[in-house]
Amino acid sequence: MKRLRIIGVTLMIAGVFSCNKFLERPPQGQLTEEDALKDESSLLAFTNSMYTLLSDNDFLGGRVQIVSELLGDEYDGNRFTGDFGEIYNRRNSIFGDTKGNLYLKAYRIIASSNLSLRNLDKASAQRNTLEGQAKLFRAIVHFEMVRLFAQPYGFTPENNHPGVPLRLVASTDIGERATVKQVYDQVIADLKQADTLLPDANGNLATKWTAKGYLAKVYFQMNNFTEAYNYADQVIKSNKYQLDTAYADRFAIAKTKEALFKIVTQNSAFVPGGELRDQFRSDNKQPGFYFTPTYFSTATAAPTDKRIGAWYSSTLQSGFLVLTKYNKDFFDLPVLHYTEIKLIRAEAGAEIGASNATALATALTDINDILRRAYNGTRQIDPLAAGAALIISNTRAQRELEMVGEGNRIQEIKRIGVRNGISVDRRGSPWNCNGMILQFPKGEQDANASFILNPEGGCF
Amino acid sequence: MKLKRLLIAMLPLLFCCFSALAQTRTVTGKVTDSKDGSGVTNVTVNAKGTRIAARSDEDGVYSIKVPGDAAVLVFSSIGYTRKEMGIPANGGALDITMDAANSDLNEVVVVGYGTQRRRDVTGAISKISSEKINSIAAPSFEAALQGKAPGVQIIQGSGLAGSASVVRIRGIGSITASGDPLYVIDGIPIISDPFLRGNSSAMNQNPLASLNPNDIESVEVLKDAGAAGIYGSRGANGVILVTTKRGKSGKASFNYNNKLGLSTYANKPDFVNSAGWVQLRQEAWENDGNTGFATLPGYNNDQTSEAQKAADQALASTVNNDWWDQLTGTGVINEHNLSMNVGSKKLKVFSGLTYSNNEGYIKSNAYTRYGVRLNADYKVNNKFKIGLTSAFNKGINKRVPAAWDGGIGDAMSSALPIFPVYNANGTYFNNGANPVRRTNETKRREINNRFIGGLTLEYEVLKDLFLKATGSMEYITAFDDQFESNVWLNRSVPDSGFRKRSPYWGYNWTTTYTANYQFKLNQNNRFNVLLGVEAQESKLKEYNGEIGEFSDKPYYKDPSAYSDRRDTLVNNNTIASIEKSGGTFTFNSFFGRINYTLKDRYSFQLLARVDGSSKFGPNNKRGFFPAISGAWTLSEEDFLKGIDYINFLKLRASYGIVGNSGIISGLYYDNYRAGGITYNGGPTLYYNNFGNPDIKWETLRNFDLAVEFAVDKNRITGELAFYRKVTTAILLTPGISPSSGQNTAPRNVGESKVLNEGLELSLNYKVIDNQDMQWSIGGNIAKNFNKVLRWPLGPDAVQGGTNDTRIVEGLPIGVNYLVRYYGVDPTDGSPLWLDKSNKITKTYSLDHRVYVGRVVPDYIGGFNSAVSYKGVELSGLFTYVIGGNIYESSGKYQFLGVSNKNWNFREDYLDRWTKPGDVSKYPRLVSRASSYDGVSSEDQFNSTMFLHDASYLRLRELTLSYKIPGRLIERMKLKNARLFLTGMNLLTFSEYPGGDPEIARDFENAQDRNLSPNITYLTAPQQKSVIFGLNITF
Repeated sequence: MKRLRIIGVTLMIAGVFSCNKFLERPPQGQLTEEDALKDESSLLAFTNSMYTLLSDNDFLGGRVQIVSELLGDEYDGNRFTGDFGEIYNRRNSIFGDTKGNLYLKAYRIIASSNLSLRNLDKASAQRNTLEGQAKLFRAIVHFEMVRLFAQPYGFTPENNHPGVPLRLVASTDIGERATVKQVYDQVIADLKQADTLLPDANGNLATKWTAKGYLAKVYFQMNNFTEAYNYADQVIKSNKYQLDTAYADRFAIAKTKEALFKIVTQNSAFVPGGELRDQFRSDNKQPGFYFTPTYFSTATAAPTDKRIGAWYSSTLQSGFLVLTKYNKDFFDLPVLHYTEIKLIRAEAGAEIGASNATALATALTDINDILRRAYNGTRQIDPLAAGAALIISNTRAQRELEMVGEGNRIQEIKRIGVRNGISVDRRGSPWNCNGMILQFPKGEQDANASFILNPEGGCF
Repeated sequence: MKLKRLLIAMLPLLFCCFSALAQTRTVTGKVTDSKDGSGVTNVTVNAKGTRIAARSDEDGVYSIKVPGDAAVLVFSSIGYTRKEMGIPANGGALDITMDAANSDLNEVVVVGYGTQRRRDVTGAISKISSEKINSIAAPSFEAALQGKAPGVQIIQGSGLAGSASVVRIRGIGSITASGDPLYVIDGIPIISDPFLRGNSSAMNQNPLASLNPNDIESVEVLKDAGAAGIYGSRGANGVILVTTKRGKSGKASFNYNNKLGLSTYANKPDFVNSAGWVQLRQEAWENDGNTGFATLPGYNNDQTSEAQKAADQALASTVNNDWWDQLTGTGVINEHNLSMNVGSKKLKVFSGLTYSNNEGYIKSNAYTRYGVRLNADYKVNNKFKIGLTSAFNKGINKRVPAAWDGGIGDAMSSALPIFPVYNANGTYFNNGANPVRRTNETKRREINNRFIGGLTLEYEVLKDLFLKATGSMEYITAFDDQFESNVWLNRSVPDSGFRKRSPYWGYNWTTTYTANYQFKLNQNNRFNVLLGVEAQESKLKEYNGEIGEFSDKPYYKDPSAYSDRRDTLVNNNTIASIEKSGGTFTFNSFFGRINYTLKDRYSFQLLARVDGSSKFGPNNKRGFFPAISGAWTLSEEDFLKGIDYINFLKLRASYGIVGNSGIISGLYYDNYRAGGITYNGGPTLYYNNFGNPDIKWETLRNFDLAVEFAVDKNRITGELAFYRKVTTAILLTPGISPSSGQNTAPRNVGESKVLNEGLELSLNYKVIDNQDMQWSIGGNIAKNFNKVLRWPLGPDAVQGGTNDTRIVEGLPIGVNYLVRYYGVDPTDGSPLWLDKSNKITKTYSLDHRVYVGRVVPDYIGGFNSAVSYKGVELSGLFTYVIGGNIYESSGKYQFLGVSNKNWNFREDYLDRWTKPGDVSKYPRLVSRASSYDGVSSEDQFNSTMFLHDASYLRLRELTLSYKIPGRLIERMKLKNARLFLTGMNLLTFSEYPGGDPEIARDFENAQDRNLSPNITYLTAPQQKSVIFGLNITF
């Protein structure tokens, strides 16, 4: 009997202990896809997170711009070491967190967009807006990636040279590079859908005008001037935006009237643009980036140029020619602004001016708007002298000056390379040499041995 | 009773010898141990020249009938010296004492959930006693195990106070899962994760450092399936069982001991001074074809004025700041322990108090430990016993930044000798690294409190059937206090630095019920059956936001301010307590073990455990882990009994399946999390990772075969063991296409297979052993052969953390993947490389990388010797590593120090090319890394130029001690007194040029820790210390 009792007690204890609930300890605060994306409000929160990811330090919060500026030709390279040195020397390899983290962050945004799209059936009233934003973000990221990691549109006649992996479904499957044409086609398709899905106004969030602005930008990058002009024209004619009179307003809090798309600062809880400040800020330390004397003297040649006082200094840090655009603790980050749209319409309008007199006249207005603001009204192109070529050369020059420190220059070197077959690079590289684009992170080839890597180096 | 009968039927092994001689006498007596007078059981009593024998009973009493012509009785027993005695003429009483021959064989060894006598043990267990753990002032108890147990590799982290060690038992078989053993203290698997603080300030906080080594009675290292198998899914990396001291019978006695000493660094790399640095800078500048004066970091930036640059160089050459000297000094070690022991028949108590403060050689770096312990055993009656275990330990780590985080790391990297500490106007120099500013203007402290309590109830339900219930609780709180002064923050307002504190806290409880039935069928057949069930839950919490504010002093100086701030933030919902990621898990286990000993010479053991855990995915919730083992004591066999030379000989073998569940909790679960921020007025929700419902333990098949022996009157003892361990289902986070939005996804790779195979030998020889003088020498050596047998993924698929190590089929875990450096072209000083087809080339390329070098050594071990004459003893322990490599991740930057990398330049790199015709070890210096053909940046300059032999020999311990003689002791009313002088790491022999050859850098995660020991990145060299100690009992 005694023994039976012991066995009984033992079994009871065992019974208590083998309770399966005891082995369930889901990580607190961690959700499954099913629990996370369950209704419209969770999808809205999920979409909010994508705004912060887009402006993350590893992406448009600075890394995209910085990598682009390193590849460009405006900065002194003496102090760049490590990843920065490699990219600056146009010879980067499969390693390097600078590029690796950018890549990962970019595709995390794409994966998030795809997850949002996969769960759209849980949305109700805001379904179109949610879908439009997801497609817009997916397009923006694919576009930035194909510009950085692949040779430009027009590098081959059919654009069948390798682009970047196109991710349209969230999965852990291996990645394969789509052709540049496929990537651009998808970007345009997504943007066009976003254009129809997004509302005319949406507070600080993306609108149909964001999508149209991006369509102008993408077509312009492709040297498709008719479409670029068309979309830029629609944006400008909407009369929703205007040029800021003060240059300091572009990167400021709630001041710019130019932003087609911006990431707003949330007091101190979320402050976009940290990486821009880290690398460029020159009021409290020597910045990581400073200009070559050549560029600096070009940019500051005209004494009437209001941008000199707003954006440049040769005295703030002794011995350094620095940018002062980002010398602030906080600012809203404009991702796409009206100045760029004006510059697109100006150059695209001039390009198609031969067969479209209205476009040529509009182009002249646009570049003169830019010039008048910059030089305090002291400079503009005389309508009588204005040929397409003069408008184009002025617009290109102004684009570089207006968008200094915004990662624009390298893409212009490539676009003009395709357009004119010449390299305008001041450092003397061919516009289409291997090192003008980034190498893929090694993870792609680790996971997929047949993944095509970019050839490296060869720019000097 | 049926069972007994069954066993009799099964085991017809009982042969008795009857002798029916007419004339017989009966001799009876008692056999006692010469040391403590206790009865010795199971002594074979044999009438010499006959086959007549008897055995002593439990109390040592024997009785034997001997024939009339027998004159001598032979007494023999395992673990005792054979003794022959003349038979008294008329028979009658013959009491004898026997000398323990080899105390090791009779010692009690702690195994999981019980104890066994050493000679019955069928598994591989190394026991390390209290004295050996407390012989040096190690940063943490596990570091003191180095060189003392064969096959147990201890790499002490660094010279930082409280540093963690990498402990590897019989090699390394895991990649992403932890390779660390399971630490069990008095039955509770304790919180020992070195990553609870991640890799903050380039140091993995060591939770074990707060434990008081003086509380430890013994440490048992369970190495094979026969021993560690009882821990099932947690036994694959071996188990370290720590048993704390308990009360023993006797009047109240007290022990006081202390250690007072000084510490410095064991070794340091040497760097060129400021004049040398400037000169080399200029040389590199000119080598690259530049003219004029080279610019200097931290000086005027006018690159156009040659005069200015010349003046800068002249000024910089004279600065000559030795940052190492600025940051280091002689540390003071100060330790005091007081303990008490008292024991009556009913109640036995051990209690102890400790205080120790171990200052490292880096200024303001120290580890302070406070502890109090009370262990009590109360015997309610003959059947019912209660045991209490309780201890509180507090560890305060006064931290300093290191390695990549600065401090002493800066002194070896970017704090150049041309930088002053202060500018001419008295402010800190701030145009480059200034670790003195960092040390003076920032403070950091990690404070760990740990309470461990356990209550055990044991009841003997039936004779020899013991039911035991144990509940153990570990409660932990930890605070990471940081303070940055207004000077550091460049805040103009005086006295407004910033302070913050990151706490975590939590509990870990274990409940174990066991039933243990020990029965003797008869003299020859003994059984020990154990059944058990166990549950464990561990939960750690933290706050999801920062607790900090502007202030002029850190929180540890103002505790109430911290609680006020915390309460404010909690009350206005700014922060909330949440579970610490990965810190929560449960285990639920059932286990059993059957030991059967036949004739005291054949032992068999069968064990099994079923483990379920919340760490495992829903598709693999429970695992089954069986093991079988056996031992055969050959020296008990008749055919060896006649050979006097062999005193003891035992063969043992084990085979079993154990698991490794050292994986992060929650891997099986999708990871979406609410963001801590709002965007545009709305909440945020982030996607981080997908879960894997198949996640489970790693499986290890473990075979062990060993021989234990004692020969030459037990003067030579030793053990030779062979093991073969194959790990499969290795947990990995292999790289997946980053274009999926994540870099890695965890999974158990079924086709993976890693082998660890090895030999361990330990030998001890008592050269002289008499009353006045003893001299012993001993040592151990272990050879581990590590190989990745099957590997279905590419070599780059698993990253060695921050370090360049790889997993490749056919090679050991953690091989380096480097371009081979061939030498220097004497004509132009270019480095020469070998490409994949062994052709010499001047062009560096990552395509030339091959697998060279490995982080696992060929041999590890230690040897010791002790000579004592009367009360004076001199003892020493050498530890060594033979083979394997050290890769210096920081070496490439130090070599390129005078380029625009701007690092310190190590003196051994002075052997460089300077002019055509030079034959040198290193190439010409350059002003930028890309000046070497094909090198894209200094980051991608990994080559065998920085790969070194990791072998070293180190005088780990040297102790001179004096035991004060009895008469003097009595006069002082003491029971015992000993004085000693001990040196740690006094001598190091190594060809490694980069400083200290014992390296375990700061790690990012378990994978980094597995793949990259022996990879250094500015690792702070080990401590060297000399201590004086006193140990008295009264």
